[in-house]
Amino acid sequence: MNRHRILGLSALVVIAIGLYFGSQAPLDQLQGEYTRIMYVHVPSAWLAYLSFLVTLVASILWLTKRRLVFDRVAESSVSIGVFFTALALMTGMIWGYPVWGTFWDWGDARMMTTALMFFVYVGYLALRRSIPDPAMRATRSAVLGIVAFFLVPLSYLSVLIVRTLHQGITVARPDSPIDGEILLALLSNVGAFTVVYLTFMSLKTAIARGEEELEEQSAAVDATPAGAAITAPNLEKVRDV
Amino acid sequence: MPSSPLVQLNDVAVRYGRVPVLNSVELEVPAGEATGIVGPNGSGKSTLLRVLATLLRPTEGRVSVFGTEMGRETAFSIRRRIALIGHQPALYPQLTLRENLVFVSRLSGHSEERVDEMLDLVGLAGAKHRRAEQSSHGMQRRVEFARVILTKPDLLLLDEAHAGLDREAGQLVDAVVENVRSRGGAAVFVSHELDRMLPLVQSTYELVGGAVIPGGSR
Amino acid sequence: MTGPSFWGQAYEIGRKDMRVEGRSGEVLNITIPFGAVALLLIPLAIGIDRPLIASVGPGMFWVVTLLFGMLVTFRHSATETVANREMMVLLGMDPAAQFVGRVSASFLLLLVFEGVLAPLTIVLYNPDPVSGWPVLLVVLLLMAIGLALIGTLASGITSGLRSRNTLAPLLVAPLSLPLLVGASQTYEALSQESSILTPILLLVAVVLGLAVVGVLTARFLEEASR
Repeated sequence: MNRHRILGLSALVVIAIGLYFGSQAPLDQLQGEYTRIMYVHVPSAWLAYLSFLVTLVASILWLTKRRLVFDRVAESSVSIGVFFTALALMTGMIWGYPVWGTFWDWGDARMMTTALMFFVYVGYLALRRSIPDPAMRATRSAVLGIVAFFLVPLSYLSVLIVRTLHQGITVARPDSPIDGEILLALLSNVGAFTVVYLTFMSLKTAIARGEEELEEQSAAVDATPAGAAITAPNLEKVRDV
Repeated sequence: MPSSPLVQLNDVAVRYGRVPVLNSVELEVPAGEATGIVGPNGSGKSTLLRVLATLLRPTEGRVSVFGTEMGRETAFSIRRRIALIGHQPALYPQLTLRENLVFVSRLSGHSEERVDEMLDLVGLAGAKHRRAEQSSHGMQRRVEFARVILTKPDLLLLDEAHAGLDREAGQLVDAVVENVRSRGGAAVFVSHELDRMLPLVQSTYELVGGAVIPGGSR
Repeated sequence: MTGPSFWGQAYEIGRKDMRVEGRSGEVLNITIPFGAVALLLIPLAIGIDRPLIASVGPGMFWVVTLLFGMLVTFRHSATETVANREMMVLLGMDPAAQFVGRVSASFLLLLVFEGVLAPLTIVLYNPDPVSGWPVLLVVLLLMAIGLALIGTLASGITSGLRSRNTLAPLLVAPLSLPLLVGASQTYEALSQESSILTPILLLVAVVLGLAVVGVLTARFLEEASR
């Protein structure tokens, strides 16, 4: 069994465990069943932060060590991070509609900052698509991978910095005594999502490496130098056309 | 023949993405000589010149300039000894010809007084307060050669140096090359035309299929 | 012949950028009027409601500074051609010094931008006066440095790309979020007479962080621009 299979199967197992604890945890009196959205929402948000942290580290490593593997990790982690950021935003909105009465609450600073964080990393992926040369692409996106990370702590701490009417997301408050079963459900899902992240990363970096190899192979086959692709113009015909 | 070449390329290859431009290039640029490299449009001449200038790190192979092998870090002290005259003039359009040269002189640690002397040498004393954007191609080129005379490079790299120049400006190119050679430096011409540079060079090469082949020494 | 020191190089770059801007007048003749037009259009879009206009005034100023001020850092005259960049490399120019010089010039021009548009905002929107407003001068200063840093970094990241005209603003707008949050929260804290320490610290931290990242990555971006 290869690495991807093992990771994929264990991801399924831990997700099942997370779902079980999530379904068993007691409900909030006011929110009812909507409480359970938190077991997707909070792990997604945490994984988004983790992904972008991995990108930050991999970006610095590319700049200092110049090994393409770090660029692959940086890119893969952003792709996955963007996915989890979108998931966190969507589950937040789905939860917000019945609980706050609106999909988008301007009072929630963390949602605002997370949305902008999402767009910076969408810009990161757009930047990568605009640069054909691998080394140039890796270096420029590494610099962006470092600068973009400024938004991650800001998004996390935004509840403390921005004056909001709402108290942000209450479940993750460190000072609030959280019910043991809720905590268990939350942590098991954070763990499960982390395994999902590792599975995605392992697959995504393998795909990226495969793409690079394919490119190298076709470069070797297509060994005609740029200039040699030009042949002499057919002057006779040009005169007669 | 001087003992060691100023620049040496060993098995140099350059690829832009997946398009190979240069393949296993071997080249030596001897001190005190002018070298000419001919090749048709798109054969990789400008790319080769930028490799020689340490501006482009080759995908494969070794580049050694002034006896120092180029690694990931290229020392500023080496780059200061190289000058490149490319297709596009390296000038700020909004600045006057003199201001452009003053900018270069201050960045390279030369006194500002020498700037007027240089402009006089290249025949621009009367036009030095004209903005670069209002100057002709030939005038802009002359400023670039004033820059070369001012900064005294040991390696002068010229990309189609004579293209679009009148006879006087063309003779200025020749004189600047003589100046660099007489100081023990080297000049490398790349061009698609052999005729104009032939009288100036000691050895010629041809760039074919991404590789450099000797075109015989004179 | 050795060239000038790091700060000497940065000074030459900044001086050159300012002189070029003096000749082309891009900021004074185009970007500032553009920002002024935006300030005039917003009240027309939200309707003639004087208390509402007065209350959104400061926020609109920050947004206009961010969205139009970034154009100051992208100004055509600040973007070097490949030939000019290569010449500077061969003159032994330190890319970090170049970064510092370019940021300094953009910073000064952004101060001019803010210096024209801030009084205009007060005249047009007539916002409620806040006590302790001199603090806002510090915020203007930090905003200008921060935006100059982000804009110059984004210019470097996107230089020479076909999509740069759209990509650079896409990067700068969300990246400026910490600046916007810091500036707007300072104003809010002043008007509610509460502590301004957190937002000011945020601004200072972001500016310092960006400056360090910009100086340390300048060499890599320079290499990746050719």
